[in-house]
Amino acid sequence: MKIPKPKIKGAEHYSEGQLNYLQRKKLYQFGITWGRILFLFSFLLLWQIAADKEWIDAFFFSSPIDITRLFVDKLLNLELLHHIGITLMESGISFLLIILLSLITASCFWYFPSVGKMFEPFLILLNSLPKSALAPLIIVWMGTGYPTIILCGISVGLFGCILNLYQTFQQTDPERLKLITTLGGNKFQAFTKVVFPGSLPAFISISKVNIGLALVGVIIGEFLAGKQGLGYLIIYGSQVYQLNLVILSILILCAIAVLLYGIMNIIEKRLKC
Amino acid sequence: MSVILKLDQVAYSYYSDTGEVSVMDNMDFTIEKGSFTAIVGPSGCGKSTILSLIAGLLSPTAGFITLYSDDFAAPKIGYMLQHDHLLEWRDIYHNVILGLEIQHKLTPQYLTFANELLEKYNLAHTKNLLPSELSGGMRQRIALIRTLTLKPDLLLLDEPFSALDYQTRLLVSKDVHHIIKSENKTALLVTHDISEAIAMADNILLLSKSPCHVKQCIPIEFEKHGITRDKVRDSKLFQDYFDLIWRELQNENTET
Ligand SMILES: Nc1ncnc2c1ncn2[C@@H]1O[C@H](COP(=O)(O)OP(=O)(O)O)[C@@H](O)[C@H]1O
Ligand SMILES: [Mg+2]
Repeated sequence: MKIPKPKIKGAEHYSEGQLNYLQRKKLYQFGITWGRILFLFSFLLLWQIAADKEWIDAFFFSSPIDITRLFVDKLLNLELLHHIGITLMESGISFLLIILLSLITASCFWYFPSVGKMFEPFLILLNSLPKSALAPLIIVWMGTGYPTIILCGISVGLFGCILNLYQTFQQTDPERLKLITTLGGNKFQAFTKVVFPGSLPAFISISKVNIGLALVGVIIGEFLAGKQGLGYLIIYGSQVYQLNLVILSILILCAIAVLLYGIMNIIEKRLKC
Repeated sequence: MSVILKLDQVAYSYYSDTGEVSVMDNMDFTIEKGSFTAIVGPSGCGKSTILSLIAGLLSPTAGFITLYSDDFAAPKIGYMLQHDHLLEWRDIYHNVILGLEIQHKLTPQYLTFANELLEKYNLAHTKNLLPSELSGGMRQRIALIRTLTLKPDLLLLDEPFSALDYQTRLLVSKDVHHIIKSENKTALLVTHDISEAIAMADNILLLSKSPCHVKQCIPIEFEKHGITRDKVRDSKLFQDYFDLIWRELQNENTET
């Protein structure tokens, strides 16, 4: 079988070898992309057939068509958008608070190393704890409502974020700090001119991890104390055996996670140039 | 000629859990204004420590370090480190004015001066480039300009060329020497490279180890013999100086 050669834009500018390389690369990309689409499509198809032919129990496993139908229904009466909005809002606030609190704490730790040294073991302890264990306690203390859920969202990422940022700040080349001193700068200037800008790439990747963790924390919070939001929908759906709803909510969560990650990637690219 | 720097019985020790390391206990020397002095000595003998003491990054455990200036202002010190440490997120121009920014001196006079320096030493075209787009030698020259924008009275250079390859080192050391001389600066260069010291300095302080002290002060007098600075490396005199210093350092090694 002869594989057709993909078209390359401006092919006449390239040498034979370069053209060959570009064509092979394009073919490879093409294969990967279509492979993914094919996989997803056959998975959905198989699922639907299995449900129709009753190989699986559609009551427990649902089916793509049922889920789509539910999605359209709920979208039309705006209920779903409301729940998505709530979860997004709670995750967003949790994320911003994680970043803000971590920046403040890690900067203080860097500026006053003895304070950092003192608190470090406590943070390591808190960070090694499975954070969802804190959630019931938070609910007892603060009741149900937004603050509780946001606090749950914060509690998953915060300690790790502080530690990571602090370590990044500490890894600044001491010669660079010396440079600032020899140019007549003080410690605050060392932070603003060298330590923070130098930590920016690490800061972005820490943020990327933490936007995901904020979402995890918020969902845990909604499981336990929510009256709205996607976490609430999942728990509610499972309690009343509306498994269409559960699976739909999980799929939407996937989409949200991908979306948030994508946004962070765009911000990262923006900052690089 | 007037004295700009005087070290008087300076002592310095590093303290640690494993004990005290006395780097020097009685260091004396003076530097004259406008001179170019090189400090040569075995590695680990305390050369960097001396510069840190002069720059005020460390305080002597005993003795006095005095800086003199013509007017009443305290003399300013410029420090050039082994690596250029240009900040990769700033373009060259903003790296050059980093010191001015830190000292809140972004006045038209200083900025013009910074631009003039870049123009004068053929670096103006690099202004909008990022450090990663420059060669190692170019970067080191930018680092010197960054130090010069603050108009220091005394320049301290701590093995500023040791991170460069041999070819570049020859070229850049020549350039740096040229820049320092034409800006009329007093310079104190630390190096372990004997030929670099001979090619650049008017005086060489030979240090010896544990505790660190000035073993010998060797004036380098090419001008007296009518040899210009850019030709010194080919001269017989250069070889003589080299042999002299080499022998002294060898003695040092056999003594200890
Ligand atoms: N921070 C430090 N703590 C303890 N000892 C040090 C420290 N810095 C340097 N020393 C010791 O002091 C001596 C002189 O160091 P240094 O001035 O860096 O030498 P040089 O620049 O001539 O190579 C060395 O023996 C080194 O081991
Ligand atoms: Mg040294």
